[in-house]
Amino acid sequence: MRSPIRMRYVLLAAVAAVVFGVAVHQLIGGGRQEPPKIVVAVKALDEIEFWRVLIDGVHTASREFNAEVSVIGPPKEVDVDRQIELIEAAIPDKPDAIVMAASDYHRLVPVAQKIHRAGIPLIMIDSAVQGNYAKALIATDNFDAGQKAGKELAALLPPKAQVAIVSYVQGASTQIEREQGVRSILNGRAGTEIVGTYFSEGMEERAYEITMRLLKERPDLDGIVGLNEPSTVGAGRAIRELGLTGQVKLVGFDSSIKEVKLLEEGVIQSIIVQKPFNIGYLGVKTALSVLEGDKVPDKVYTDSVVIHKSNMYTEENQKLLFPFVEE
Amino acid sequence: MRPAARIKSIQSRIAGSFVMLVLFTALLLIFISYPLSESAVRETAENYTSELINQVNANIETYITGMKDMSLAAMNNPNVREYLVAGGELEPEELAKLKRKISDYFHAILVSRKDIASIHIFGYNGTFISDRMDAELNPNILPQDQDWYLQAQAHKGQAVISSSHVQPVVKDEYRWVVSLSRELSGADPDKGIGVLLIDLNFKVINDMLSKLDLGNRGYVFVIDKEGRIVYHPQQQLLYSNLKTEQLEQVLQDTQGGFVVNEDGGSRIYSIKDTDFGWKIVGVFYENELVDNKRQMQRSFAIAGMLCLGVGVLLSFLLSRNLTRPIKRLQETMAEVEKGNFDIRVPVGHSKEISSLARSFNVMVLKVKELMNQIVVEQEVKRKSELNALQAQINPHFLYNTLDSIIWMAESKKHDEVILMTSALARLFRASLSKGREMIPIATEIEHITSYLSIQQMRYQDKIRFTLDVDPSLYPYVTLKVLLQPLVENAIYHGIKNKQGPGSIAISGELKGDRIMLRVADDGIGMDSDKLSKLLTAPGKGRSKTSVGIANVHQRIQLYFGPDYGLSYESEPGAGTTVTVTIPALRAEELAGREEIPS
Repeated sequence: MRSPIRMRYVLLAAVAAVVFGVAVHQLIGGGRQEPPKIVVAVKALDEIEFWRVLIDGVHTASREFNAEVSVIGPPKEVDVDRQIELIEAAIPDKPDAIVMAASDYHRLVPVAQKIHRAGIPLIMIDSAVQGNYAKALIATDNFDAGQKAGKELAALLPPKAQVAIVSYVQGASTQIEREQGVRSILNGRAGTEIVGTYFSEGMEERAYEITMRLLKERPDLDGIVGLNEPSTVGAGRAIRELGLTGQVKLVGFDSSIKEVKLLEEGVIQSIIVQKPFNIGYLGVKTALSVLEGDKVPDKVYTDSVVIHKSNMYTEENQKLLFPFVEE
Repeated sequence: MRPAARIKSIQSRIAGSFVMLVLFTALLLIFISYPLSESAVRETAENYTSELINQVNANIETYITGMKDMSLAAMNNPNVREYLVAGGELEPEELAKLKRKISDYFHAILVSRKDIASIHIFGYNGTFISDRMDAELNPNILPQDQDWYLQAQAHKGQAVISSSHVQPVVKDEYRWVVSLSRELSGADPDKGIGVLLIDLNFKVINDMLSKLDLGNRGYVFVIDKEGRIVYHPQQQLLYSNLKTEQLEQVLQDTQGGFVVNEDGGSRIYSIKDTDFGWKIVGVFYENELVDNKRQMQRSFAIAGMLCLGVGVLLSFLLSRNLTRPIKRLQETMAEVEKGNFDIRVPVGHSKEISSLARSFNVMVLKVKELMNQIVVEQEVKRKSELNALQAQINPHFLYNTLDSIIWMAESKKHDEVILMTSALARLFRASLSKGREMIPIATEIEHITSYLSIQQMRYQDKIRFTLDVDPSLYPYVTLKVLLQPLVENAIYHGIKNKQGPGSIAISGELKGDRIMLRVADDGIGMDSDKLSKLLTAPGKGRSKTSVGIANVHQRIQLYFGPDYGLSYESEPGAGTTVTVTIPALRAEELAGREEIPS
């Protein structure tokens, strides 16, 4: 009789222990689900406002959808090797997804392959790599943006006009698409001749020098399209310096204080501004959708906006031109 | 146990009832407490949000009130008035001096107020004063075109608060600010002399609002009375339509909040109006409450399961504990059913069961006593029956003997008559034996001797008898009239049907603790079939002697036990030997053993 009684107490004690344990576990919140871990690899961390705004969008999305995001990237956009290193170091940690803005269309291919092989869903933002490794690409429709620039300029040009394109890095996919967009409009305009595309290597000084020479060589030039920020600013400075403000029409890309000033001065007539905040936000959101098992479109184009002096201080455009990035 | 039996068992019934009870209680508690907790969570969230936006409101009002106070101070500053009204008439030197005085005054204010970005005055006479002497106007921007300038003019001396915007009027500065502007009036109250602009550093509002915690996704935004967004954490998303905000509804709301239902769940808006026309709006997602809800559901479910588990376990233990003594009782009963009356149920702890067990034990004891009594009574009954049967043998024999005596008397054989009659008398005396059932072997020998002499006279030379019993056996006891039926059987079935004379030998010997009495004849014998039927209970149509044989066997076994009795050996044509085995008991040992007086 004695031993069964003891057995019973042991049993009761065990049950009580289990109840207590579960209760404590529950109180501490052990039942909570871990937020997904996402690595966002950008081209540059804080050198360029574009990326700061994009990262802001990333953080907004991570807060809204409860994801654990870590942003990695080299200090400067040209440091492709560093970006490759950083991403390769992130792969063994097995994040739930990787969102990547490839700083080079070709050199990042092995990295994309590695991510693909590791079974980590890859979302590309802003610029892609060659091949088909990503679940989705979220970027500005650069061809469309180029067309917008082309239309802006076309509206400002005299019936017979000569136009030059100041581009940045030869072979960069975004550059090619933008140029194609510009050309698709201007080539269809009767009487307009595109005198050539000049590459600034993404450097303002280079663009300035190129434009100076170009304007001196071709005094009859009517318009210039700058395909990115340094190219536009460089071209604008040259126009201003030569006293050609308003005479040579300039349509540019992206935004910066320098561009804003040139716009206010009337050196630049229009700029085409991307929405980096949206790209960052949608990049994370799309990654989470993929993790949820939802079907996502393989290409999502974010909008670009045409800004000129008259609309630069509207409610909507202020935020794009003067990004208010949380520090 | 079969399933049906299992379901019907007390244990499973008790356990089942307990489980149902626990389940019912747990469900009841969950159904009562869950909605309560749910509404409590919701209420807490709503209270928290409204408290939060009240706090935000208080903070923002502090900033705005500060700006208003500052604008009044600036407006009433005599230097400012002098500069703006009489500016054109003063010497340039004095003018510069005055300007410096004002600028220093503004600068002093600014040093104490980190939230104020800048103070400017734009005189209608073309003058411009800043808190910084080196500040230059942006040559590409006309202050007169700015919204805050136009609004100040339109409101005639009233302070106007702008929405958040980039302030481009100062060269090389593009700050995000909230502007307070107001038209300064001169001697003629209807005629303005310039516009005062105080810019609040928007970063202070942004920092304050972006740090607010309204769950993971909840946020606070601010709109002005025209519905323009002063602050929104996801302003970019709004402009690109990745997100929509219920601005119209917020503007029209007077209730302090509303709920918007969307595909992805509802957003709950909590709205606070400010004195200067802004609306501060707290938004939280019902989904997050649902997350809490899910967690709550999970907790409730787990708690319920635990309750149930513990309930099941306890009910199992409890019911087993309760039914265990009953089971033991049941098992004991089964044992008793099988005939084991020596078993006792242990008396348990609970009152009912222990009294039941005690009663059961008493009952088993009683039953055992009664059974014993029945056995004894049955024995007595059998013995008396057998005695009655045995008594029937004698009249039959008596009839034959008397017949012989009559026959001898008719033949005038007086000596034989005397001899036979006296033998008969001796025989009856021996068989009476003072009514005792057990008699010394000596008496039995006397009895059988008398019987043999009567038979000898009747059958003359046809039968020879030999009697060879060791006189040392005489003091031992035997049942009376054992041998007579055996001898009778030997005569009637063994020798009578045999050609020529036969002989019967009666012998006795002591073998260990047993006495063997033997009656051997050389009659016709028996086959094994007949032999086997001899000792079984007498069937129909059997002769009386057979009845007698079976009776003898049964009587021996009845008195001395199954180890004793008769055994026959026979061969057809060669005779039959019957052995009586009885225990060797002396008369004095028997005293008190004989339970039944005849």
